[in-house]
Amino acid sequence: MSFYNFRLFFYSLLLAGWFISCQEKEQSFVLEYPDYFPKPVYGFDNNPLTREGFILGRELFFDPILSADNSISCETCHAQAHSFADHNLTFSTGINNQTGLRNSPAIINAAWQPSFMWDGGVNHIEVMPFAPITNPIEMAEDFNNLIRELNEHPRYPQMFREAFGNPEINSQKILYALAQYMSVLVSKDSKYDKVRTGNADFTEDEGAGYTLFKNYCAQCHVEPLFSDFSYRNNGLADVNGDTGRGRITLDPEDNFTFKVPTLRNISLTYPYMHDGRFRNLRQVLDHYSEGITAHHNTDPSILKSGKNGMNFSETEKQELESFLRTLTDYTFISNPHFSN
Amino acid sequence: MKYFQILILVFLALTLTLSSCKKDDTTEGPEAGTVVLDFDHVFGPDQLEFSLNKEFTHPLLGEKMNFNIFQYYVSNVRLKKTDGSWYTVPESYYLLDLSKTDGNKIEIDNVPGGEYTDVELLYGVDSTRNVSGAQTGALDPANGMFWSWNSGYIMVKAEGTSPNSATGTFTFHLGGFKGEFRVPKSFTYSLNDKLVVDGDREAEIHMISNVARLWHSADKLSVKSSHTMPGQIAKTMSGTFYDAIKFDHIHN
Repeated sequence: MSFYNFRLFFYSLLLAGWFISCQEKEQSFVLEYPDYFPKPVYGFDNNPLTREGFILGRELFFDPILSADNSISCETCHAQAHSFADHNLTFSTGINNQTGLRNSPAIINAAWQPSFMWDGGVNHIEVMPFAPITNPIEMAEDFNNLIRELNEHPRYPQMFREAFGNPEINSQKILYALAQYMSVLVSKDSKYDKVRTGNADFTEDEGAGYTLFKNYCAQCHVEPLFSDFSYRNNGLADVNGDTGRGRITLDPEDNFTFKVPTLRNISLTYPYMHDGRFRNLRQVLDHYSEGITAHHNTDPSILKSGKNGMNFSETEKQELESFLRTLTDYTFISNPHFSN
Repeated sequence: MKYFQILILVFLALTLTLSSCKKDDTTEGPEAGTVVLDFDHVFGPDQLEFSLNKEFTHPLLGEKMNFNIFQYYVSNVRLKKTDGSWYTVPESYYLLDLSKTDGNKIEIDNVPGGEYTDVELLYGVDSTRNVSGAQTGALDPANGMFWSWNSGYIMVKAEGTSPNSATGTFTFHLGGFKGEFRVPKSFTYSLNDKLVVDGDREAEIHMISNVARLWHSADKLSVKSSHTMPGQIAKTMSGTFYDAIKFDHIHN
């Protein structure tokens, strides 16, 4: 009798153990990226990535509850179809139809970014959403008000419980969930990636564009993320209105420098530059070809020809544009897991 | 079945006995207790009792000020024992907020029993926590002490009204943790006597904080009534304020 019971006890223990490990497996949700990507900057150190955390982050990202009058969500200005940049607006519209001074950036491969915003003012992915959510001209929300609204919501307390083990809602968990969601927005399936992994070939134009790109652009737009995440003055004319990085570092040498943006999905994120001054890729190429203004700190790499730019021929511009379009990731913009 | 139940009972009894035994072993010497850091706020060299919503005349500027917000961070508290070793308080971040009852006090629980001769404080928030993502408690960005556009903590926040300011108000959000404009500053104060921590026994450290010292080397409000970013002004104003925070006495 007792032996039989012991055996039963032992088997049920085994079964319980198996269940637990199964559940663990279900929860393990890893950041997937190609082996030619570097290690992400964000290591999820205090915020382990889970399916439930990602789902909560996604729900929050798409929910206008994050704005003061519940009219604007993150997605309003960061739409998947545009690689999570705005719907081709120069400046995004905040609550009460207010607009800011800078073009809404794309959210791609954010886990690799050491700092955020055009001026790099935000130093960590977890506090990144705090800026637009609380900015009076963007979502203008007070976090304590947001926490109250989420607590009164029919679904969120349960979702927070599933993501973090208990239903308590605080700013840290909101920011953790959003950091998980944003980190998972990895773009890695462009034609460029397929060529890189041997699954596609560049056309002649694209290949020629890639060679030009490596000679003229790759110094700042470093592969495979297509940015070195530095801040540079790229020779834009009339930049007096916005001192850029200088506002953050308080170093006059950094005035009018802005983050080197990634070129992944660049064909989807028009208009271009921190102030959205260029409507299309051709205008951008024209700028680097013959439109550079020499300021005291204009980056030497774009002034190297001693002229107003790199003097690309018409053919070269077309080839470069063809290459830039190979960075468009249609799998990314149509990934159903990224939208709710 | 019966054997099994008995086995569980024996096991439970054994664990309970063992764990209760353990506790008894450690109750020698003074017990851990609470240390309270109590900041008295004064205004000017005459040490006028400071409070919000009360008009003061700044002795140096000759200008009137009526505060409605006064908040600042104290962090990284350490206590020096009589044997020269230091007790570092874990997760030690406090936001003093004069709008709250007892908002001028810091309660530190579970300080190991013993005698202490010195206290070390960091005014402001250390650089690490300025770059470590979403925090909770005193460092929760929802407390309104975090710059969203330029990640980092507002380490001193002073706001109010003044007839001398062109706008009728003054707003100072002082912080910054990088390079030459670093605001956080560490001080060690000798307690002059031995602070005894032993269970429920009272152990209070009284400090005096002079709010007027923010403008010890700053422009008049009629010239500059607002500064809400890191930089030289933030560093100077917070620095002269921190420098003047004094240890006063202990209660045992």
